[in-house]
Amino acid sequence: MSSRDYLGEFEHIIVLALLRLEDRAYGVTVRQEIEIRTKREVSIGAVYATLDRLESKGYVKSHLGDPTPERGGRSKRFFRVTAKGVAAVNRTQRALVSMTEGLDLIRSYS
Amino acid sequence: MTSQADFVRPPRIAIWLVKLFASAEEESILGDLLEEYSNLALKSGVAFARRWYWRQAVKTIAHLGGTGFRGAPWSTAAAVIGGFLLLRFVSRLPEKILSAVTDRYLAFWSTHFKAYIWMLNGMSIEHLIGAMFVGYVVALAAKGREMIATMTLALVLCALIGAAFVWVATHRPMDVTWMLWSCADPFAIVIGGAIVRMRRSAAATLRLPVRNLHR
Repeated sequence: MSSRDYLGEFEHIIVLALLRLEDRAYGVTVRQEIEIRTKREVSIGAVYATLDRLESKGYVKSHLGDPTPERGGRSKRFFRVTAKGVAAVNRTQRALVSMTEGLDLIRSYS
Repeated sequence: MTSQADFVRPPRIAIWLVKLFASAEEESILGDLLEEYSNLALKSGVAFARRWYWRQAVKTIAHLGGTGFRGAPWSTAAAVIGGFLLLRFVSRLPEKILSAVTDRYLAFWSTHFKAYIWMLNGMSIEHLIGAMFVGYVVALAAKGREMIATMTLALVLCALIGAAFVWVATHRPMDVTWMLWSCADPFAIVIGGAIVRMRRSAAATLRLPVRNLHR
């Protein structure tokens, strides 16, 4: 993987959600955090598909929690961002800031 | 009267469909959906929660199907091509043998007409079992992408059958029975894939307590 790889739009949103949620980040909380902040309905499948891709790139790590009765005896899968993931989100953020620098987006393009 | 257990139970068909497509993430996805569904049912009512569950299930299946294919397009394509060749050359063999036998003993069938009809029905059933067997083999080869591989093969067949229908309709009189049996093939292939997926899902569920004990 190149050190200049940027995160895709939804990958970026997911990593930011994981950083916000810290050690409470699992499917339900990630999905709800994105829905509340972006005001768009997100499917749990989209969240897991993206988290799997991020995990295969080494940007996030996951571990299973204990099975709970309200989940029908199923475990929560908790996610956290790795140092490589933090570097990727910083790189993407810097690229976006650099691209929007000097643009008056609200006045010129709305 | 609705018990508490019934109250928080999501739609069974939706659960089954999600199970078919979510291979590695099955436990986490179903657990997350159940947790949110139970909270929604208590907060906004069962009808609302059920609608939400169905919407999530459909979107989740679409996402997992798309990412599953994009994640391994070549191995999925190889399984589909292998399945197509298997369907074309191997699964028709018993049918050809039975046809050869019936043709060889035509004089016998003329005196045992009922047996002849049974034989023909048996050939139709064998035809379906053959297609289901192909779906089973394709799903075994496409581990973790059972439904994607079998549904891709079924869609390819549907496209070919559609083209064949158009050709037949413009060149000769339509044989409705042939049309119906042709449409059954893709369906039987998907059923074969679903059987493999359900068996693997059940095996993975049985292994879960062992994994939790070792944690």
